[in-house]
Amino acid sequence: MRVSRRWLSEFVDLPELTAAELAGVMTGIGLEVESVDEVDVAFNDRVIVARVLEVDRHPNADKLRVARLDTGSGPHEVVCGAWNFEAGAVVPLALPGTVLAGGLEVGEREIRGVSSPGMICSEAELGIGEEAGGILVLADDHAPLGTPFGGTLPYPDVIYDLAITPNRPDAMSVFGVARDLAAFFDLPLRTPEVELRVAGPDTGATVTVRDPDLCPRFTAREIRDVRPAPSPLWMRLRLRDAGVRPISNVVDITNYVMLELGQPLHAFDLDRIPDETLVIRRAEPGERLTTLDSVDRALDPDDLLVAGPTEGLALAGVMGGEDSEVADDTSRILLEVAHFSASGVLLTGKRHGLRTEAVARFERGVDPALPPRASDRAAALMAELAGGTVCGGFVDVYPEPIEPWTVTLPGGEVSRLLGTDIPADEIAAILRRLGFAVEGDDPFVVDVPTFRPDVTRPADLVEEVARLFGYDNIPVRVPHGPGGGLPPEELGRRAVRNAMVGAGYHEMLSYSFLGSRDIEAMRFPSDDRRSSPVAVRNPLNEEEGVLRTSLLPGLLKALRHNQSRNNEDVGLFEIGKVFLASEGPIPDQPDRLAFAAVGALPGPVWEGRRRERDAHDAVGVWETLAAALGISYRILQSVEPAFHTGRAGRIAVGDEVIGVVGEIHPAVAAGFEVIGRVAAGELDLGRLVEPAGRRTFRAPSSFPPVVFDLAFDVDDEVAAADLIGVVQNAGGPALERVVLFDVFVGPPLAEGRKSLAVRLTVRDPERTLSDDDVAPVREAIAAAVWEGLGGRLRGG
Amino acid sequence: MSTRERLRDVEAEAAVRLADVTDLEALDALETEFLGPSSAIAEARRGLREVAEDDRRELGRVINEIATSLGAAIAARRADLGAAAEEARLRAEVLDITLPGRAPARGTSHLVMQVCDEIVDIFVALGYTVASGPEAETAFYNFDALNTPETHPSRLESDTLYVAHGDDPEGVLLRTQTSPVQARYMEQHDPPVYIVVPGRVFRRDTTDATHTPVFHQMEGLTVDHGITFADLKGTLAYFAREFFGADRTVRFQPHFFPFTEPSGEMLVDCFACEGSGCRVCSRTGWIELLGCGVVDPNVFEAVGYDPTEVTGFAFGVGIDRLAMIRYGVPELRYFFDPDLRVLEQYR
Repeated sequence: MRVSRRWLSEFVDLPELTAAELAGVMTGIGLEVESVDEVDVAFNDRVIVARVLEVDRHPNADKLRVARLDTGSGPHEVVCGAWNFEAGAVVPLALPGTVLAGGLEVGEREIRGVSSPGMICSEAELGIGEEAGGILVLADDHAPLGTPFGGTLPYPDVIYDLAITPNRPDAMSVFGVARDLAAFFDLPLRTPEVELRVAGPDTGATVTVRDPDLCPRFTAREIRDVRPAPSPLWMRLRLRDAGVRPISNVVDITNYVMLELGQPLHAFDLDRIPDETLVIRRAEPGERLTTLDSVDRALDPDDLLVAGPTEGLALAGVMGGEDSEVADDTSRILLEVAHFSASGVLLTGKRHGLRTEAVARFERGVDPALPPRASDRAAALMAELAGGTVCGGFVDVYPEPIEPWTVTLPGGEVSRLLGTDIPADEIAAILRRLGFAVEGDDPFVVDVPTFRPDVTRPADLVEEVARLFGYDNIPVRVPHGPGGGLPPEELGRRAVRNAMVGAGYHEMLSYSFLGSRDIEAMRFPSDDRRSSPVAVRNPLNEEEGVLRTSLLPGLLKALRHNQSRNNEDVGLFEIGKVFLASEGPIPDQPDRLAFAAVGALPGPVWEGRRRERDAHDAVGVWETLAAALGISYRILQSVEPAFHTGRAGRIAVGDEVIGVVGEIHPAVAAGFEVIGRVAAGELDLGRLVEPAGRRTFRAPSSFPPVVFDLAFDVDDEVAAADLIGVVQNAGGPALERVVLFDVFVGPPLAEGRKSLAVRLTVRDPERTLSDDDVAPVREAIAAAVWEGLGGRLRGG
Repeated sequence: MSTRERLRDVEAEAAVRLADVTDLEALDALETEFLGPSSAIAEARRGLREVAEDDRRELGRVINEIATSLGAAIAARRADLGAAAEEARLRAEVLDITLPGRAPARGTSHLVMQVCDEIVDIFVALGYTVASGPEAETAFYNFDALNTPETHPSRLESDTLYVAHGDDPEGVLLRTQTSPVQARYMEQHDPPVYIVVPGRVFRRDTTDATHTPVFHQMEGLTVDHGITFADLKGTLAYFAREFFGADRTVRFQPHFFPFTEPSGEMLVDCFACEGSGCRVCSRTGWIELLGCGVVDPNVFEAVGYDPTEVTGFAFGVGIDRLAMIRYGVPELRYFFDPDLRVLEQYR
């Protein structure tokens, strides 16, 4: 909301402050200043007020005229292209030496053989309006002839653009802002008296309010004989500075009073209201209305209409209708000044995407006591500026008047909430200056005026005290909580992140939604919960239509995104929630870790032996994580949805599967247009970040180990992890380390067989082992592998 | 020729031969030849027994002198040759150290997560802990429990993403704020409450430079006996200085939120221009950092706390925004861009 300092000064004598200082005050009391514009006329005092004495055709040009003017100090003749004035008009005359708004310098020119020392100006040329079609014609008594024109305008001025919070309907006007400032500075507030002369007969218009829940109060007043014309310059300038486009006197006056008092008004052309009958009612099913912006709108049954006997005329409190609009030939006006329900207007405005000045005020809750005053003010202005005759028979439908209410504020409440002691008399004084009536001091019994619907509880009054006392005057204190540090899951999450970063992966963030096509591209079987995502009911687009059931689609899209930007070797991970349909009050939302990588492993390209990633890299990432987190696990070869049927495995901790690692199925990768093998995994974060339990230190043995190799001839189907498991179990406590160091297929092994070779490190904490000590270990392992896996010790 | 003269000859010959030795092998052979068991010196030493008593001592001294000096000369020569051999080997192994190295892979954590952890740690130092809650949330926790009127515009389908779950079409939504965790936490825990709640929040916004439908917020909630606006100011000013630097000044100004009363905004003077006005602070000298306020009594009542017994304050800060401001990230949507050229900068 743009508020002029000069306009404010009509209601309160503000102290001498710079523009920025006053802005600081406004922001400090909750009227946040978004910008400060210091405005002034953009031309110098070579523009003077002059009267046209004569105007004749230009002797050599059909489209031009020559005007002779009285400048107060003699006649002056200029050439002019405008035709919107005649002899007698008072106009701004730019003499040679004037610099106009656009930087144009006015000189002494000769136009088609006629000398023209200066020019008569339009609003646009002077930079005080948009009208460029004709010159600016001033009121006859605008100023004595010869007066510098700039000095007759209300400048310099400062325009403050305020962002008023939704709880402050009272501050949505120049008067309301002045009231807050007067309260802050403890200065008197001038409430303008309106002198209204009723000169016409009683109106014949009738008003019926059918839905008082949406329209608690409706007033109407007839004004006759108005003559639509441009408003006077001062009003046009005020509207313009407030960001409202001047239209014509009648409409401008309704806007002016709205800006001044915060009460929206609407002027109907009474001759266009059938039977002069207004009905305020909800829209009928299927009803439509064409609003002032020429949009034909389908109405909602909760939209409120100001209607005639049958047809809607205006979207109440939001926007007028095209059919009953004030026009150039309007002479009888019905002035509507009503109190509409805040939530009703808010919802209608939202439904139709209309953010009008009226909506901005009604949706906060305009003072229900305001309509008669605003109506009087507007009617008086119409009489004064538009030639109107105000009729009697003021219609005021207000079946259940809204009375001021009382809030009881305990004496200690202010210091209990603010942490500072403000004397009781200061609290009472602040509230009184804001318009509250206060009795007593413990408790304070406070009558709340109807213009403050936001104040209903003690805490609301404490806020009023706080903002005028000044937030910056409240002391500071830092309390300390009971502590406890980061919870285990937070520590675990950080450990996971650090391990992934250490493994060379980059963390990414993706939206929590996907397109349903992304889910389909994962080829989850229909009995997999991930195949039926939870839908977003009102997505902005199809690509954001469902909630992700897996982090992998986002990662695959990200790989593709990188490949298309020539980033060939990419490893990414994401930590976040996935969403799975459930019977509970909300969908299941487990936290997941997923990673995916494509291209070669990091390493110098010049060596020429960089390896492309595959499933083993995914396993390696898991091993890094497991080592970092201290997780004991088994890995089991398995066929998993979205993964390569022969290159995936489950990670099992105890009896529970906590995730899958391996290579993405080539068809799934192709579905996401990812080129190459994708090493990937998705794991249940909750299972990863469980506290690992107490760790205890073990001193390493200082005795030398015995290291020996064993190679086993096993069936091709035997998993390496199984062999290692059997070896570890059979090796006994002295078996310190098992490293699988060779995998071999081919002669001399039989078809369908392979050789797996392990290097074993055996060590005793207490003594040096001999070969004799190791022999039983070796035999036990060979026997166990034979029994458990049918593997023969090679060369043994 | 006396033994002594012979030995002097041997000594002279050894010196000449030693000078010609160019490798360690020849040196070893020379050492064996002149000092080994069958060398002239060894022989002379063995022959000492035969020498007359009078000469024996003197001859022994000469033998030792020659053996010692020859031994030292050989050792010195060996050291020289060793150094030369090592030098030759090193010279043969010269490589271009400026070639790209074999670096272990190193990833990055996301900038927003780094900033998130940093903020969390500031509050943990004040005795706070971390709480979390669901992202697909009920309208009750997201709105009702937070004193949001039925007609509040944030509930509209134009602003909030609703989720198809259960019978009520407006029953479950993607949370628009981390604040619902306030209510969930207070239902489960008695005061005192000192928590921060980082997490994803959602708005029905089309992606552009300053909007993404997903972003990150940190909620803070303090509830205890005797908590006041002064505690709010002290705590949040402490946070601002920890995050932006000890020299920063903060300012509080009134604002409005449904779940706090009084409500406010905290601004910090711009760290980039020291408050003189620049692009970072939109030329105002101040950066709007967060929204905050004294917990509204209705919020306490909704979770069964007695607002006459305990008081509290809450705040919410945009994590993405802080990351943008401090690191000069020009557009919010970069945080959801997985391009390596973006992610690699988050070191």
